[in-house]
Amino acid sequence: MTINGKICKAEEGEMLLAVIRRQGIDIPALCDHGAVEPFGACRLCMVEITKESWDGWKKHVTSCLYPVEEGLIVQTHTDKVIELRKTVLDLQLARCPGSPEIQQLAAEYGITQTSFEETIDSDNCILCGLCTRICEEMGFAAISTIGRGHLKEVGPPLKEPPPDCVGCLACAQNCPTHVIPYEDEGIYRTIWDKKFERIQCSKCGKLGITKDFAEALIKMRGLGEDYFDICDECRRKETALTMGRISQWEREVVE
Amino acid sequence: MDARLIVKPNLCIGCRTCELACAFAHSENGKPGRSRIYPLDGGFKEMWTPVVCLQCEEAACVKSCLVNALRRNPDTGAIELHQDICVKCGACEAACPFGCTLHDTQHDKYVKCDLCKGDPVCAHFCPTKALVYEPIKVAKARKAG
Repeated sequence: MTINGKICKAEEGEMLLAVIRRQGIDIPALCDHGAVEPFGACRLCMVEITKESWDGWKKHVTSCLYPVEEGLIVQTHTDKVIELRKTVLDLQLARCPGSPEIQQLAAEYGITQTSFEETIDSDNCILCGLCTRICEEMGFAAISTIGRGHLKEVGPPLKEPPPDCVGCLACAQNCPTHVIPYEDEGIYRTIWDKKFERIQCSKCGKLGITKDFAEALIKMRGLGEDYFDICDECRRKETALTMGRISQWEREVVE
Repeated sequence: MDARLIVKPNLCIGCRTCELACAFAHSENGKPGRSRIYPLDGGFKEMWTPVVCLQCEEAACVKSCLVNALRRNPDTGAIELHQDICVKCGACEAACPFGCTLHDTQHDKYVKCDLCKGDPVCAHFCPTKALVYEPIKVAKARKAG
């Protein structure tokens, strides 16, 4: 297949976006993440495709959802594609006027002010659903999208503190616009209005993951109960001392 | 998968060259990454231990990863953390019994030793050969002879 006039190889079943990225071509994609299946929510990875046998016909597709085909001719930055991306960014800027990530991306495409009406009191969420998909992939599925149409939003069931949430922060860490609020205060962590207690290293007091997350890992993956007692730094010190003892013994035996 | 990174605390002088080599080998955009190897006090006279991932057979980090971002590379035998899959939950860092999965705060990502795709830079730079990367057969023959 050809991308921007360059011939490149791809494996069967791969999506276009992966091949384009591998070529070092930069196209924006906000809802894409390697841990989850492609979703096609943000519509920014649009490309133009055609084939020699298509008699001059062209299609515009989201590259994250389009599987590679032999003989495909892809263009990532034609005028039409850029116009499409601009429209999408214009709409996203209208929905999320306060998001620095969207502002920056829009500015790269020459949009500093949306031509649509700005949402008042916007939550700056682009509703790509990456957080909910990651949560589901991890096996918790504590949050989901609620409602339809313009009332759609991300949140826990019934907007109450989610019983399945373990406070791992995967949703907040991977949000493309970083809008999921959480608070770390002392040994407590609050996310989705649920309060968690974090594990404190029994030696140095360093804070780690939440107790709920550790319990979930022990249950789901059969890890030992004492795996989460001390922090990584104290563990390294212990490892050094253990290996030191073995070497000292070896030293004495050899001598 | 017939070579191992062999660590000999007896020979380590704690010069921390390996740490530097590792950080620069894993630098990004001109910024050094967090070192995957830590020479620490071994508790005895003239004894330092370079603590580095042991590439466990049944690794706690692999078990703890809920999105399977940690996978063993069959060519090198190293467990590699795939950054495009990682969701930064921190489970691997908390689970490793040896403290060898680390959080690189500079680049905000979790990192671990990947044996530099089969050619560990730390072993190249170790001045006293406390770190050696060699085929298991050679190591066994040396120990026997």
